[in-house]
Amino acid sequence: MITISTLVLAAATALSAAQTGEAELTVSVTGIQQAGGQLVVGLYASGEDWDAGSAAAGQYVPVEGDSVSFTFADLPAGTYGIKLYHDVDGDGDMDTNLMGIPTEPFGFSNNARGRFGPASWDDAVFTVEPGSNAHALDLR
Amino acid sequence: MQRSRREMLSILAAAGGAAGLSGPAFGLLSTDPVLAAFEAAAASDPWTLGMADAPAEGRDAVAERLQGRLPSGLSGVLHRNGPARFTRNDWRYRHWFDGDGMVHAWRLTPGEPVTHQARFVETRKWLAEEDAGRFLMPTFGSVPPNSQGMRGPDDMNAANTSVMMIDGALMALWEGGSAWELDPDTLESRGAKVWGEGLSGLPFSAHPKTDPDGTIWNFGQAPMQDALVIWHIGADGQLRRADLVGDVPGGMIHDFAVTDRSLVFLVGNLMWDRARLPYLDSFVWDDSRAMRVVAIDKADWSQRRVWDLPPGFLFHIGGAWEEADGAIRVDAALSDNARFATEGARDAMRGHVRPETDSTSRMRLITLRPGGRFEQAEFADSYAEFPQIDPRYTGLERRFTWHVGWSDNQLQGASQLVRRDLASGETRRFDFGSDIVVEEPLFIPASDRAREGEGWLVHTALNKRARASELHVFDARRVDDGPVGSWRLPYANPYGFHGCWRSL
Repeated sequence: MITISTLVLAAATALSAAQTGEAELTVSVTGIQQAGGQLVVGLYASGEDWDAGSAAAGQYVPVEGDSVSFTFADLPAGTYGIKLYHDVDGDGDMDTNLMGIPTEPFGFSNNARGRFGPASWDDAVFTVEPGSNAHALDLR
Repeated sequence: MQRSRREMLSILAAAGGAAGLSGPAFGLLSTDPVLAAFEAAAASDPWTLGMADAPAEGRDAVAERLQGRLPSGLSGVLHRNGPARFTRNDWRYRHWFDGDGMVHAWRLTPGEPVTHQARFVETRKWLAEEDAGRFLMPTFGSVPPNSQGMRGPDDMNAANTSVMMIDGALMALWEGGSAWELDPDTLESRGAKVWGEGLSGLPFSAHPKTDPDGTIWNFGQAPMQDALVIWHIGADGQLRRADLVGDVPGGMIHDFAVTDRSLVFLVGNLMWDRARLPYLDSFVWDDSRAMRVVAIDKADWSQRRVWDLPPGFLFHIGGAWEEADGAIRVDAALSDNARFATEGARDAMRGHVRPETDSTSRMRLITLRPGGRFEQAEFADSYAEFPQIDPRYTGLERRFTWHVGWSDNQLQGASQLVRRDLASGETRRFDFGSDIVVEEPLFIPASDRAREGEGWLVHTALNKRARASELHVFDARRVDDGPVGSWRLPYANPYGFHGCWRSL
């Protein structure tokens, strides 16, 4: 059913990959159901990378309340998609049940949702223009 | 502001009726064809009352006594569940099994009036769609316009199939996701039942079985993985174990049986193919393979026996037991095809039934012998569904099965109650006639010490002529004598699926 192994991010390695760029993206996430743990966030720059789970940048964002915001600086302008999950127990893994269905909250940019799997790139893609950009996600 | 079609039509009727203006004149032809067909059928056929929407706030009434009385000693609550909301924003579900679950409480206390209460299960789906004023989620058999994707199966959980008391809580059961916990006295929803870490959102099917010692067994389907989730819950309501058991063909499995030693799964030939929406379309009829029967050892889930029967399909099992030589005897309502699930239950949403999309099921007693051999005996005297047994004999050798029955020329539900003696083949039968649609009967023992079959049958029904739901009580030994007591509500409830009895 919903297998989001691609959401187990290769993003950590991408943390250092930020390059000098012209754009900045601030992401705000609301609707967090449970304080604690961290958001694990991957930013993807193409449909191929989205499907392959190969993130252009990533962040671990501590969760203290029911919303957080964080910024990706120095991005090239272009199209992006975000996958994130709330690692409620902070163990670094996206927990699943016996059938492999995620038991920790997850979301995609544009608040896109999958049918029997992760949301598609086409549903999640958005544009980052030169300068400041904002994108809002709701985990409810 | 967006107006519903009904609002628009009533506004038009008020403003322009005299001028002969009609909806189509305003380009309002975008009527949902399924809803339009249902409304047309509902105008003339009271059978459709069982497929109509119940009020969102639920129902409360005192039933009118029609005849007879409550037997002394029969004191408790009949809880039932079934789909009861099919239409939002002028768009109607495509499949009967899609409707949101409404849980009922018929309270039976000797010397007092029979009362009825019903509430919708406040699933996440129900609350979100009430708020939105339209359907948001894909369901078992429908993809509503502009529906959302899902984060997990409980997003589309309709909690509409059955009910069960576990450890003082009333569980509304579905088969694709969590049990939904309710307060049995108020019917207020408490939320999805989580049995333990790593177990949230797992399928918990609608036909759990309770051993004589109170141990509860259940399963959940994981057909895309050719697997089942097996649930083992103690008499104290605490989880003993839940695990995935593989290598069970991915067919649509609604019910199962237990014996004292085994969990028995009959895998009909409506088989998982690939993920599609609506979910039902992920299954296709495949009679190139056998109907696989798998008996899993209760004590060691890695141990199993298998049999390959001729292709077929079933929703419901009466019961099963195991004989000294290891043979398993199981009775079930079997059909030769799954047309009702894939087509007939879709027709029902249009308010129609057709012989060519119906499935006719008959009771069959199957003997599964060691070494893969088997025998089947079919009871051809009537069509049959909703088999029930004396619950004290779950998994044990027994004689009786009660079920609803109907005959060849009836397409719109059952009119009969039948008691079938598996040992002698004798049947006792009561036929209410064509005004009554009979729903699942539950057997309630007269006392803990009563012999098998000594007790009452309690069931609900739709009286099409009276346009009202009824409750009837029978002496389970003398079904053919007719009900010993009958009550009627001032309204018709949608048809339900399954119930449970809570003694008080």
